Amino acid sequence: MTIHYDPETLKKIVQERTIDESAKPVLARTIQEGIETAWDRLEAQQPQCGFGQTGVCCNRCTMGPCRIDPYGGSPNRGVCGAGADLIVARNLLDDLNTGAAAHSDHGREVIETMLETAEGSAQGYEILDTKKLMTVAAEYAIPTNGKTKNEIAKAVALGMLEEFGTIKNFIQFTRRAPEKTQAIWNTTGIMPRSVDREIVEGMHRIHMGVGADYANILLHGLRTALADGWGGSMMATEVSDIMFGTPEIKESWVNLGVLKKDMVNIILHGHNPVLSEMVVEASRNPELQQLARDKGAQGINLAGMCCTGNELLMRKGVPIAGNMLNQELALATGAVEVMVIDYQCIFPSITRTAACFHTKIVSTSEKSKVPGAVHMEFHPKNAMETALGIVKLAIENFSYRDQNRVLIPGKPVKMMAGFSVEAILGALGGTLKPLIDAIAGGQIKGAVGMVGCNNPKIQHDFGHVALSKELIKRDILVVQTGCAAIASGKAGLLLPEAAELAGDALKSVCQALGIPPVLHMGSCVDCSRILVLAAELAKALDVGIDQLPLAGAAPEWMSQKAVSIASYFVASGVFTVLGIPPKIFGSANVVNLMAAGLNDVVGAAFAVEPDPIKAADLIEKHILAKRKGLGI
Amino acid sequence: MKTVFVDVERCVGCRHCELACARAHQEPVPDSGQPLGPDSPRSRISVELGVDFLTFPLKCRHCNPAPCVQVCPTGALYRDPEFDTVLIQEDLCISCGMCAMVCPFGAMTFAVSKKTGKKTAYKCDNCIDRQKKDQLPACVEACKTGALTFGYVNEIIKEAKKNIVLDLTRTIQGGQKTSIPENMLEFQAIRETLARLGPLPSSK
Repeated sequence: MTIHYDPETLKKIVQERTIDESAKPVLARTIQEGIETAWDRLEAQQPQCGFGQTGVCCNRCTMGPCRIDPYGGSPNRGVCGAGADLIVARNLLDDLNTGAAAHSDHGREVIETMLETAEGSAQGYEILDTKKLMTVAAEYAIPTNGKTKNEIAKAVALGMLEEFGTIKNFIQFTRRAPEKTQAIWNTTGIMPRSVDREIVEGMHRIHMGVGADYANILLHGLRTALADGWGGSMMATEVSDIMFGTPEIKESWVNLGVLKKDMVNIILHGHNPVLSEMVVEASRNPELQQLARDKGAQGINLAGMCCTGNELLMRKGVPIAGNMLNQELALATGAVEVMVIDYQCIFPSITRTAACFHTKIVSTSEKSKVPGAVHMEFHPKNAMETALGIVKLAIENFSYRDQNRVLIPGKPVKMMAGFSVEAILGALGGTLKPLIDAIAGGQIKGAVGMVGCNNPKIQHDFGHVALSKELIKRDILVVQTGCAAIASGKAGLLLPEAAELAGDALKSVCQALGIPPVLHMGSCVDCSRILVLAAELAKALDVGIDQLPLAGAAPEWMSQKAVSIASYFVASGVFTVLGIPPKIFGSANVVNLMAAGLNDVVGAAFAVEPDPIKAADLIEKHILAKRKGLGI
Repeated sequence: MKTVFVDVERCVGCRHCELACARAHQEPVPDSGQPLGPDSPRSRISVELGVDFLTFPLKCRHCNPAPCVQVCPTGALYRDPEFDTVLIQEDLCISCGMCAMVCPFGAMTFAVSKKTGKKTAYKCDNCIDRQKKDQLPACVEACKTGALTFGYVNEIIKEAKKNIVLDLTRTIQGGQKTSIPENMLEFQAIRETLARLGPLPSSK
């Protein structure tokens, strides 16, 4: 349906939805031309059910579905007898489980690709970062003397895959945590035993009639989250680095303006780099380059989207078109030949959006098929063939583009990315000492790991950008991953020049090092890099992570993965502020445990505060208290 | 007069009342349990979003005098004296829409009548058939948070007064402000902030 708004009304609607300047003209187009977006669907979904929002809706068994009156009236128990506390806790564990599973299954797929590469059965891959391979091999106590690169990689892959099972009973990377933090996990009984075991046990625990103690359920949630952060996610990061190279500091471009009117545009969307790395290779194929020119294009332009985009940006400098809420807008530019999707955070209606134009959606994962997409299934053994086929399909589709409908807004923004822990160490001259000195000296008050998604309930990118600006103004360094980092990129915060927006002390540190006040550390599985950085800081000071002047923030979170990330931050000792309320407010006990009680368990807790200024106040107060605790 | 009374603070926007209303008016057998489809009767109550994620179930308030009855040129709208309920005689309705224009609550819609085969005025009938069987109106029965209750206004207000005084004295004594649990008050405060920062209606 085409709706004609007067220009003022249209401007107001667009303004309420996003702060992304490159998104605004395209968003206006979607409204005028009736191209449905997530914002329209949010509106159509109103009102959204309060039982669900407060976590008191239980739909696990067929005696239900049941719901509890969150105002304390009747009914106060489900048919099985579960009260609000139990129902809320089980629902939360369910979400956390799903998130931990998503990260870790992604990790497993990267490890399996490394295994096939090491065995010589993967097409187009090689082990790129031998240094990191050796580091990880040493951690896993894998003998390397006289072994080939592939033999070592195979042993590392098998060593990691073993940690998804139930026999080994511990996850090697948890040993990267400071001893004091590990001691907390052991005392509390939340040291994870394996990746899959914790997830499966979590599913068991939410079955009807398995325990009724909400705290016991939530503690298992923390254990499962740790199995993700220090397990599945960390493996995904490390093995991706081994396979495709550990990120180094580099410059690139961001926003919808990275799409090119005269080129074949391919968007790589989703989370897993294993296929998209091959698409990057395939796009350089001289025959395909020639074919693109034969079709009248100037060449092939790749652009990332969401975390597949972040992975390619960090390692290859591929420009990035936007974050989660940009995915439909990218298609609505009318300039995209193919959007390649792997999995996670891809709108199920994406093919409907694509159908408004010539764009083809190419699904590549057996796990993630979408009706209306061209399915070109990826397997390591035929990776390059698949990638070449995808690029060819895009080139051929260029002829069908209607140039009159192309709307590529403005110019892209420059950004700096690639801040792996190794790259940060490099920038500091090979040691964390300058950072520790700056923190001890007060030039940097503390650091915040800002992560998470977009959510149309809050103005797109506003939560991330406003909180980042507020924190750096207060001399608090910000490190980011995922959609948060892309938001900062679009807002120009990932540039050394953004140091001008920081407080004087942080500004001088950034200027001395030539780095931005907000550092892009990668995709959402790369939140594990933040854990590693925190662990290194804590070890250098001989304290637990919970004693550091650190905080986490997820201002625009929406996904189950974010539940897992926030939980492993807290379980690792990092106070975390959420900008969107989690589905727990139907239970006073769960709220109290998560907002306060956990302090006595893991030395950190959650807070919920959508307002960026107030969130910054909470974070600064926490950081100052931790500084006091350390005597700095 | 007995009425469906709304406690707006307790409405969670679940829309159970809408579903129950549609089911209660299934034809030929009300509450037959058949799946609802495009031809099923539409709900006569609708939960709408206000500011700060607050919601309100809108339905016919059976006003007296009722503006719709007053303006109906054919007498299709009339008051049932026994149940004090505004009803529609569909074969008299000329679908002029006057009733919908004057209704203060947006409670009047138009739907194809099984009886006449054409679109006629369509609204809440206070579940008279259910009342005759000593059942509550379907929307009230479906409401699990106490946002909808059915009874004589004076009696409901008498109960409400008790809570008002309890809340008032709690505040004087420095206790929790209302009978609404603290966690739900916190939730509402967070949603108020969120509404201010997003595209959905906000009070700010």
